[in-house]
Amino acid sequence: MSEAAVRIAGMNKFYGRFQVLRDINLDVRSGERIVICGPSGSGKSTLIRCINRLEEHQQGRIDVLGTELNDDIGNIDHIRRDVGMVFQHFNLFPHLTVLENCTLAPTLARKVPVEEAEATAMTYLTRVRIPEQAAKFPGQLSGGQQQRVAIARALCMKPKILLFDEPTSALDPEMIKEVLDVMVELAQDGMTMLCVTHEMGFARQVADRVIFMDKGEIVEQGRPAELFDNPKNERTRTFLSQVLSH
Amino acid sequence: MTAVSDMNTPSQSLNSGLQPDGLPARLRRRYFRTPGNAVISMVGMAALFYLAFHALDWAVLKAVWISPDSTSAVCRDIAGACWAVIQQRWRIIIFGLFPYDEQWRSMLACLVMVATIVLSCLPWSWRPLRLSILWCAGFLIFYVLMRGGLFGMRAVLPADWGGLTLTVFLYAAGVLIGMPMAIAMALLRRSDMPLVSRMTGALIDGVRSLPLITILFTAALIFPFVLPGWLQGDKIWRVIIGFALFFAAYQAEIIRSGIQSIPVGQEEAAKALGLSYWHRTGRIILPQAFRNALPPTINQLVITFKETSLIVIIGFFEILASGNAAYGTGEWSFAYFEVYIFVALVYFVFVFSLSRYGAYLERRMRFGQH
Repeated sequence: MSEAAVRIAGMNKFYGRFQVLRDINLDVRSGERIVICGPSGSGKSTLIRCINRLEEHQQGRIDVLGTELNDDIGNIDHIRRDVGMVFQHFNLFPHLTVLENCTLAPTLARKVPVEEAEATAMTYLTRVRIPEQAAKFPGQLSGGQQQRVAIARALCMKPKILLFDEPTSALDPEMIKEVLDVMVELAQDGMTMLCVTHEMGFARQVADRVIFMDKGEIVEQGRPAELFDNPKNERTRTFLSQVLSH
Repeated sequence: MTAVSDMNTPSQSLNSGLQPDGLPARLRRRYFRTPGNAVISMVGMAALFYLAFHALDWAVLKAVWISPDSTSAVCRDIAGACWAVIQQRWRIIIFGLFPYDEQWRSMLACLVMVATIVLSCLPWSWRPLRLSILWCAGFLIFYVLMRGGLFGMRAVLPADWGGLTLTVFLYAAGVLIGMPMAIAMALLRRSDMPLVSRMTGALIDGVRSLPLITILFTAALIFPFVLPGWLQGDKIWRVIIGFALFFAAYQAEIIRSGIQSIPVGQEEAAKALGLSYWHRTGRIILPQAFRNALPPTINQLVITFKETSLIVIIGFFEILASGNAAYGTGEWSFAYFEVYIFVALVYFVFVFSLSRYGAYLERRMRFGQH
């Protein structure tokens, strides 16, 4: 019985009067790998952005690593250090080198000594297979390389949970695999992961659980094999037929 | 192999078509391609040479440089420039009303201020600690030299400071106080708290809707009536604060535009890493905002340098007013043109260096760009 990494109960979120998330209940065990899929506008990105409070929820309760998310900014900064995030558009800092991108947050937010932070950064850059790019600026790298740097940057904070917000959607097709390979390795190492992605092959390979969302609701969830091969809900079936048909 | 040689042949012939690129060939191609072009080029160049020759003739060939007897007699009945006025009166232009025997102090102080500006422009000094030490030392030395009353130096009141020294001091102090104000105003205007952002907005818009002259006037002449005695300080400081406020109102909007041009993802990524507001602002947002806003910032710095001349309105003799004084005596009153050219040259040296420095910064920063 492992502790809950994320616990979301009865959560609702609104943009003005429009409800984007509806009665979300989700428990994520430590070490669990979850893939969230669904049509665009279904609220899946918003959901994982609520977990590190890039978005605020209005009703219900979210606990991350045992701490409730509320207006306490100190708490939020603390939780964010333990929850890494990888974005669709990488969001690397263009004015810093690859190495500085990786060492900035550990040295500032975790007060890690510079040499130690650099050593850690080189370890993770090696792990994502681009140590030789450390001195370059992000603008000099390809999309796939940038996304791998972004993953290394998140890992340098030694997070307990990693959130992926469509990490391969902005990549050229030939670069998707190099990023997915890194993500598969992370999953195999036991990282707690929540991935919003349309990569169904990745979901089948590593996910413990696949969550299907539509119109702000969790419609259906289950093991990848169950959900993909034997979807119970009509909306899941329609979506999967569209994603898997080509 | 064949593909390569196929590629080579046309590109070689293309090259050889452009090859004879000596100066005469280039001139011919650019200015004398058609008869029409040739005529226009000839007329234009003739006019240019004519004007250049006349300017040279007036400014150099027929000019008088030195007045042996310290009077303007040497410039009577000449067709060229009377640079003797500069030779005789340059101390007034550069030092204003500063006591004659003490002008070495003003000279030294001016050099110290210029050196401080130049040093803080070097990448080496771009550390908070180094910059603060540099500027504190710079201003301290300047102030002691100018104000005197220490180390056996005669006290000179700021009302008697003047010339180029005063211009450089006013500019450096105004920008140095104004820049942090501008950053603060830009950040406050983006605050989540509506009251804070509205009040900052009102301050910025308020200051921007007033002419600089009225602000300087208020600072110099009205505030003494309004403020309690201990808050008044010397007139020069009130003027510097007013000047800084005016600069800050414009610069704040420039910085804000720089901030707004940064993609939202940058701030989100910084937040997601757990960086605090000050770390996000200081390490992610502001460096990128300043890079984006560099051209308008240099623009604003240039405009501000030239606006220092407005403080003449409240009785300070900065370089332009001192120039007026330099030819203002009946003896040299005919030589105003030469004096203005000299003052313009001084302005040019400062402003042109500033814009070249801006260009250097842009080149330097382009390296890390997308």
